[in-house]
Amino acid sequence: CRGPAIFVLICRNYKGDVDMAEIDHFMPLLMQHEEEGLLCPVLSHGSVHFMWIKHSNLYLVATTNKNANASLVYSFLYKLVEIVKIQSYTEPPQIRPMSILEEESIQDNFVVVYELLDELMDFGFPQTTDSKILQEYITQEGTKLEVAKSKVPTTVTNAVSWRSEGIKYKKNEVFIDVIESINVLVNANGSVMSSDIVGSIKLKTMLSGMPELRLGLNDRVLFALTGRDKGKTVVMEDVKFHQCVRLSRFESDRTISFIPPDGESELMSYRINTHVKPLIWIESVIEKFSHSRVEIMVKAKGQFKKQSVANNVEVRVPVPSDADSPKFKTSTGNAKYVPEKNLVVWTIKSFPGGKEFLMRAHFGLPSVEKDELEGKPPITVKFEIPYFTVSGIQVRYMKIIEKSGYQALPWVRYITQSGDYQLRTNV
Amino acid sequence: MPYLGGEDTVRELRRALSNPNVQSDQLRYRNTILKVIRAMSQGVDVSGLFSDMVKACATVDIVQKKLVYVFLCSYAALNPELSLLVINTLRKDCQDPNPMVRSLALRNMTNLRLPSLMEYVEQPLTAGLRDRAACVRRVAVLGWAKLHNLQPNSEIDAAVVNELYSLLRDPDPVVMVNCLRALEEILKEEGGIAINKPITHHLLNRLSDVWGQCEVLRILQRYRPQSEDELFDILSLLDASLVSPHPQVMAATLSLFLSLCSGLPAVSLAALERVRGPLLAACGSVSRELRFTALCHIQLLLRSLPGLMGAHYKRFFCGYAEPAYIKQRKMQVLVELVNDDNVTMLLDELKGYCTDVNTDTAQAAISAIGRIGRSYSDRCLEILTGLLALKQEHITSAVVQTMRDLVWVCPQCSDTVCLALEGCEETLQDSQGRQALLWLLGVYGEQVSSAPYTLEVFIDGVRSEVSLGVKMELLTTTMRLFLCRPAETQDMLGRLLHYCIEEEPDMCVRDQALLYYRLLHCGIEETQKVLQGRRSDPSLGVLIGRPSEPISQWACSFNTLEPLRQGTVETDSTSRGSPEHVTFEPKPNTDLSDTLNFSLTLLLFLGDEKMEEDYMCLEEQIQFPAIPHCSPQSLQAAMQLVNIQTLAFTPPHTLPWRVYLYTHTQHAGDSPHITLILGELLYTGEANQRAVLKKALKGFLSILTTVLHTLSSERK
Repeated sequence: CRGPAIFVLICRNYKGDVDMAEIDHFMPLLMQHEEEGLLCPVLSHGSVHFMWIKHSNLYLVATTNKNANASLVYSFLYKLVEIVKIQSYTEPPQIRPMSILEEESIQDNFVVVYELLDELMDFGFPQTTDSKILQEYITQEGTKLEVAKSKVPTTVTNAVSWRSEGIKYKKNEVFIDVIESINVLVNANGSVMSSDIVGSIKLKTMLSGMPELRLGLNDRVLFALTGRDKGKTVVMEDVKFHQCVRLSRFESDRTISFIPPDGESELMSYRINTHVKPLIWIESVIEKFSHSRVEIMVKAKGQFKKQSVANNVEVRVPVPSDADSPKFKTSTGNAKYVPEKNLVVWTIKSFPGGKEFLMRAHFGLPSVEKDELEGKPPITVKFEIPYFTVSGIQVRYMKIIEKSGYQALPWVRYITQSGDYQLRTNV
Repeated sequence: MPYLGGEDTVRELRRALSNPNVQSDQLRYRNTILKVIRAMSQGVDVSGLFSDMVKACATVDIVQKKLVYVFLCSYAALNPELSLLVINTLRKDCQDPNPMVRSLALRNMTNLRLPSLMEYVEQPLTAGLRDRAACVRRVAVLGWAKLHNLQPNSEIDAAVVNELYSLLRDPDPVVMVNCLRALEEILKEEGGIAINKPITHHLLNRLSDVWGQCEVLRILQRYRPQSEDELFDILSLLDASLVSPHPQVMAATLSLFLSLCSGLPAVSLAALERVRGPLLAACGSVSRELRFTALCHIQLLLRSLPGLMGAHYKRFFCGYAEPAYIKQRKMQVLVELVNDDNVTMLLDELKGYCTDVNTDTAQAAISAIGRIGRSYSDRCLEILTGLLALKQEHITSAVVQTMRDLVWVCPQCSDTVCLALEGCEETLQDSQGRQALLWLLGVYGEQVSSAPYTLEVFIDGVRSEVSLGVKMELLTTTMRLFLCRPAETQDMLGRLLHYCIEEEPDMCVRDQALLYYRLLHCGIEETQKVLQGRRSDPSLGVLIGRPSEPISQWACSFNTLEPLRQGTVETDSTSRGSPEHVTFEPKPNTDLSDTLNFSLTLLLFLGDEKMEEDYMCLEEQIQFPAIPHCSPQSLQAAMQLVNIQTLAFTPPHTLPWRVYLYTHTQHAGDSPHITLILGELLYTGEANQRAVLKKALKGFLSILTTVLHTLSSERK
């Protein structure tokens, strides 16, 4: 039913029920809709529907003539992007890594991409999308040739499809990263419109054999189940697990038990919908004197514990597109004007909790004003606070059991960072 | 240079491919083939190299094999004879000890899409089904589907079908799902795979990866549980995936849930409550397309459970950088969510969007405020009036159009609107905005003191006017204004009529002018009757929110592309003329039409003969349980909302009060096919329906019932 096609660069017709020439209608259709302001992720030409996503300078288009399950198609396209990116990371250095998937990187790696397209989907049906397994199918490099001839991918017949047998490490270790991003939207009058935390627990597993792992978190539901009520607990929503986690166990007694995939993987993600106090609070006064100047005053305040430090803080303040001759004064850090983005970027390398900093900027405005209406972009903030989670989530324990009985060390690291962090302005 | 020098490239590549030195060096050989593939994907026609590539196929290098197969599958259809040569190599590969090679060969054998090769493919495929490597079985199972797809008329061996059925119990989950897919394809003629109780329960207990799950859930929609106990067993198995964090699984599960529970509305509603969390999570997804899809599906859910998201309205606030299509959907959702608690916040937020850089978004925000104005008119009018002060062309136009629509539903707003209108003609540029302004001036002429002066400007400029709509509207408005303020308008009306009759090149405008001219000859009373006949009814109560529809109205379009495409219909609502001429409220009827494949349209002309002929046909009587205790006028107005027209009615307060209704249906599938429906409604509480088509009648009745239910519930 679906034949994803990466047009111009690569296309793959899985079922043969949609004429490959149909894709020629896509770009004109896209342009036309864009002009009319009716752009939409589904475009139709006759009985053919194009479902597209855009990734950097690429359009990934799935064509179908069926009334398809929309979220499935989009999820697949995003999965495709993700996998193509990961796969080319693991290739030898002579192939340009696709840290950003773009036209050039597809051209450089197009054989891998073809191989992937073949493995990911057959006859319009998604097959294996696990990148670890896919790696075993992809034999792009000549050096792998001898190996490939003799070695059968172990996962092909394996019960645990995400982990190969016979993995060996000298030192057995697991690194656990707990990363929380904060999304905040603050209104122009200073009230928090919406806020939530999106968390993710990532693993880097360097363990031999087939280890059984169990992760303990300070999950409120679990604590309520077991009757313990000590210390701070968190309520997680929309918990998503890697396929290795035994969902039935989590459903029944909230235990997170699994056989981990080797190397790096995302074990779980969650969302917490609580009212978080914005960790970095911004007060801004932007005064625009038509035909002459703009005065900007921005005050940033760290609303987190004194012991913590926010690193690489960037406060991005929008300025009118016709502003010129910038002048800055900051109490700390550097302010820079980025004319192509119409922004002032104020960078503070380290920002201790409880502190307050100030930035003033002055811009000239031309005497002849532009007719065009300008939007009111919000101020956005980027930061990273190590050794700290907003939600207070904690890894209580990580038990590692393997039949050979080796001792393994778990390492835990916490980071809080900014997600979609926006503060609206008045101007 | 992808398209340049194609022929040279091909010649050079052929030379390289046939060069024995290249052939003996594996790395060089492979690189040459790589160049061929690169040229192919850049659009160079390399089909001429087919025979050279067939030779390259016989190699131990897997990478080279894969590359050659990519090439062969693209060009096999052009060279069926030469492709025969490949088959040998492929069949040999099917025996290879490496399962990867086996699956690769098998997959490409079936991807060649050549009917002539069928006989060679069947044997390896059969062997593939019993292969011990799961990856080979996966390919083999789908291979049969491909084979059948290629020659739909050929019979697939019953033994194979049986084998596929037994592979449903394969330990590998992908093989299992592929079996389902293959059987669906092969047994298409017989309505797909036969789903019985053991298969259903087997499948449900083995829901595995995300993609396979969606497939299983979709196919299970055909299964009907034999007893209520079994139904609830299935439902409880499905419960976990109903709240799956993967939107595609959640949507597929809900779709199955709704189809299983079509007879149990209470359970369905509970399921909708249950998916609220996952749906909201999908609305916050990183991918904007998934966000969009979730929004569209939420709109569907809201039709049956208007209060579902009320408390979560903040999740539908727009981010600055979101694309216009998401913003507009979010606003549509926000309009549905408004209630006494959140109206202030919501309007504040929408007000912010009115100055969006994207004019479409800004206009959508303004019309969203107008929609809310039907329930909270004072606050909304204040915002709308404030927007006029910005003197932005597109904003003013949208505001005036919104006010026109609002005033038709809430005539009590007319004073405020009339005050606001003063002076905005200077900012209006586009024809729709000016048309709206003219309409308002015509209807509320006596309340706008400057109306004649505004009209005069229009009439002076009529020669250079390009928009047909504006000219027609101008005629009507001037006539109307003449009726209430004759002294000020007489002269300009004369000038306008003279111009339109003597000089106007367009027939429509000329005919309308002539009509008015002759009408004036009939006397002022006749003219008044014609021009001021239809006014909205001030006593008409505001329809707060939409009535909740039964889930069955939209369940079949859930989790398809349908809800994603409906919005484009709604955006058209801005391009309509004055309310009395055109479909008054497009929203209810488009929504209904998409689910039922059925809609009522408003046709103004009704042939006598046709009507009589139809009237003699079918006859059916339906009793409505709910008796609307409302004034005839509001009944009529409510009917118009769904495009049911009143032909005639007996004077009010006589009993039994009769209304004769008519409407047209339009079938979305076969558009020229239009059915006329006539109905007689007795105010004593029963209605006689006379209609031509049963199916059409059913749809008509459901709409009519909805209207009557709304009216009666409102009066309670």
